[in-house]
Amino acid sequence: MELTLLINPNLLDDPSDFMIFVGRFHPLIVHLPIGFLLLASIAHFTTRWPKFYAIKPFLKYLWGLGAISTALAVVLGYLLSLSGDYNDNTLFWHKWSGVVVLVLALICYFISKKQSENTKPTQWFLIALAIGTMIYTGHLGGNLTHGSTYLLEYAPNSVRSLAGLSPKKETIPKITVLDSADVYLDLVAPIMDRKCVSCHNKEKKKGDLELTTYANMMRGGENGEVIVPGDIETSELFRRITLPENHDDFMPSEGKRPLTTQEIALIEWWIASGAPANGFVLELDSQKIITETASNYLGLDKHAVLSKKVPPANQSSIDSLRDQGIIINRLMKSNYFIEANFKLSERLITDKELALLQNLKEQLIWLDLSNSELEDESLQKIGQFEHLIKLNLSGTAISDKGIVHLKTLKHLESLNLYDTDVSDGLLKLIPHLTRLKKIYLWQTKVNDSVIEGIQSERKNLLVVYGRE
Amino acid sequence: MSKYHNFTQRPLSRREMLGICKGGFGALAFTSLFGVLPIACSRSKKLLSEPDLYLGPHYLPKAKNVIFLYMDGGVSQVDSFDPKPRLAKENGEDPRKKFKVDATQFDNVGKILKSPWDFKQYGECGMPVSELFPHIATCVDDIALIRSLTSKFPEHTNANYFLHTGSGIQGRPSMGSWMTYGLGSDNKNIPGYVVLDGGLIPPGGLDNFKNGFLPASYQASILKAGAEPVANITPKEHMPNLQEEKLQFIKQMDHSLMGKMGEVDAVESAITNYELAYKMQSSIPELTEFSEETKATKKLYGFDSNDPHTRGYAAQCLLARRLVERGVRFIELTCPKVDADRWDQHNNLKDGHEKNAHAVDQPIAGLLKDLKSRGMLEETLVVWTGEFGRTPFAQGTDGRDHNPSACSMWLAGAGIKGGTIFGRTDDYGYRVIENEVSIHDLHATIMHLLGINHELLTFRFGGRDIRLTDVHGHIVKDILT
Repeated sequence: MELTLLINPNLLDDPSDFMIFVGRFHPLIVHLPIGFLLLASIAHFTTRWPKFYAIKPFLKYLWGLGAISTALAVVLGYLLSLSGDYNDNTLFWHKWSGVVVLVLALICYFISKKQSENTKPTQWFLIALAIGTMIYTGHLGGNLTHGSTYLLEYAPNSVRSLAGLSPKKETIPKITVLDSADVYLDLVAPIMDRKCVSCHNKEKKKGDLELTTYANMMRGGENGEVIVPGDIETSELFRRITLPENHDDFMPSEGKRPLTTQEIALIEWWIASGAPANGFVLELDSQKIITETASNYLGLDKHAVLSKKVPPANQSSIDSLRDQGIIINRLMKSNYFIEANFKLSERLITDKELALLQNLKEQLIWLDLSNSELEDESLQKIGQFEHLIKLNLSGTAISDKGIVHLKTLKHLESLNLYDTDVSDGLLKLIPHLTRLKKIYLWQTKVNDSVIEGIQSERKNLLVVYGRE
Repeated sequence: MSKYHNFTQRPLSRREMLGICKGGFGALAFTSLFGVLPIACSRSKKLLSEPDLYLGPHYLPKAKNVIFLYMDGGVSQVDSFDPKPRLAKENGEDPRKKFKVDATQFDNVGKILKSPWDFKQYGECGMPVSELFPHIATCVDDIALIRSLTSKFPEHTNANYFLHTGSGIQGRPSMGSWMTYGLGSDNKNIPGYVVLDGGLIPPGGLDNFKNGFLPASYQASILKAGAEPVANITPKEHMPNLQEEKLQFIKQMDHSLMGKMGEVDAVESAITNYELAYKMQSSIPELTEFSEETKATKKLYGFDSNDPHTRGYAAQCLLARRLVERGVRFIELTCPKVDADRWDQHNNLKDGHEKNAHAVDQPIAGLLKDLKSRGMLEETLVVWTGEFGRTPFAQGTDGRDHNPSACSMWLAGAGIKGGTIFGRTDDYGYRVIENEVSIHDLHATIMHLLGINHELLTFRFGGRDIRLTDVHGHIVKDILT
């Protein structure tokens, strides 16, 4: 019954699933003629030497195999082309050059069947032509499947310019702060590039949908628009990526890697916020729904300081500090960050030590000055250690006068002021310390209203101010 | 041979000969063996061959210190942190009809035994804790509870070695030795690995705290409770410089001995240990002098308790905090000797567990709160665990036998996600059915928090690069921030 369907010409306009099913074996079968024809040509070539005369009688079978498999590939390729998912122009050349390969393969078969003693130059020319056409056809096929930019995407720029391509796209400089993250360029476009564009590009355009640019995305595909700004329910794109994975309409199809929950959350939020073409994430997300996810997706929740590569610390400064009983430890193997710890030194901290620390300020991320005889003025120097992530000033006599100098410590995550004289001055300091996660204020002069002020302002800041 | 044979030049062993002759160091080491020698500690010698001489954490650590609260004997999980209502429902029924019962140590399987204590939920996280630990219960939001720890050994000695050294047989280095070996210690006047002896040395003895094949300077130093925490800590000489000169003389002798013997760990470590002991004569009395602590702090730990064991353990916990302040890397607290046995209630569960819990509950909660308010909990990892759990059915009528198939433990502090509950046991609390955590996993996690990759910290012994976690260990990521 299927056969009758196959030969019914009316069906070709709306090909049955069965034909496409068969057609999809084309990418599998197509490798057979490539292998057979190459093998046949190599074998044919080797017969120039007496050592390989023995294989002469078998050449015709090799070419025969090549011709048969080419015929099969051509038929399956034709069936696959009926699905209409491919760029018409490229498809035309692929199809007809495939047919040419078939014709040439047949000619080669008949030549070798005639078994002339020596292959004539015209015959060599035909063989070379067959192989050349086959390579050209294969290349077009690759372009159809992967897109024409696929092959040379990562080629050196010299190779790309030979092929008449523009130099490689400079990767957009990696975002380092969320403030500058653009909603489309930094969030949506990378997701599309990674998960969708391999099928929905200029050449392939499955479902007549192209997801390479914002404009094309909004234009939609064969069934109309896929993104309805502000309405995730009716946005086809969102429906498709959130279906159960085994659903027919699920995207990405064909077992390609699905979107992660994080990516889906970002797309959902983007569409719900009206699918803007551009705009800063932080401004669009005034209610902080997605900020955390976005910063995690962009890898920004990791510490900005820690992602820097710092040079080795000045060894003579380290040695002189260590001689003073100050502990300097390297904190990781892959980078040269250090901690400095004065608490066991049992010494006054003088300007000399602070000056030595100044030499290490690039590497210094943890500093413990607890219980030292530190004075307010010294904090001016400490305010310059701008890579500090942890600072412990507990048990010192510092006060509001000193801590104003700390507002330059943009990367500070933990500040220990337990058992110091600080008070209301904190209210001025804290807004500057945007990354601060923990602050210790037990046994200070800070009163409850200040604590409340800090806590209402900064929900994610852990304020430890009592015991029990 | 004279009786001083040990102190004369030894002949080379085959192993030493091979070890010395391999590599480019052969000639150098060979001369040093028979003549004067450059003194290098064995650790740096081992690392010299690596191009980048690097000591310290592999990646940015979360914790700088560890306080290991060892609950000797095995706390019953179904009576502490893993409530099982089904035990009350089926109290007195035969467990063998309900589930497969493994062989127990004393082969005296009684009936299913419900917990004598009620559970209540605490904190924002709503973690259920039994009446045994009313104080620790107030800290649950800082605690990550693991209900699925398992051991490989149903008996104390092996289980203790396993918990402390990662191997059930004695002789391996203790985890504290590994940590100090891997990270060194900030304080040069106090050992980096200290065991505070609360009164009970766990079965298996001091081998739980030994350096094994690591250099002897990484073994634990044991501080006893009481006026003289370390024997002979006050100098016996009536003139201070007399002691100094004695020590100087001993050092000289040791060095000349080393000149003859080569780099022998026993001699090297003896020298460093003498030096450390001398420094401890001033550092230890200062450490154990609590007069600078406020009354409120002492009260918080339980110094005013009626129970002498609570007071004793309170002092140990306070001492632990003071050791952390002084940069000591790894501190283990052993249990106080209460009137009942250790947590090992084979009978009289109610009385024994209550006495043990009462001794440790308030001091531990005090320690957590004190550390937190000072900002120290951010850098200190507190680990609370026994060597295994106990059976949900009775041994005899009113005890519980050993159960290595499930045990509850918790961690708090640096890098720990407070209020987390990880792992699940079956309806009886007998076996782990979800997210099993092995002792190796626990070790890997502790090392991870200290910034050590447990697969990279190795020591060559017996022809193999050996790790604390041997060939096992997965980091329990779910309890980490």
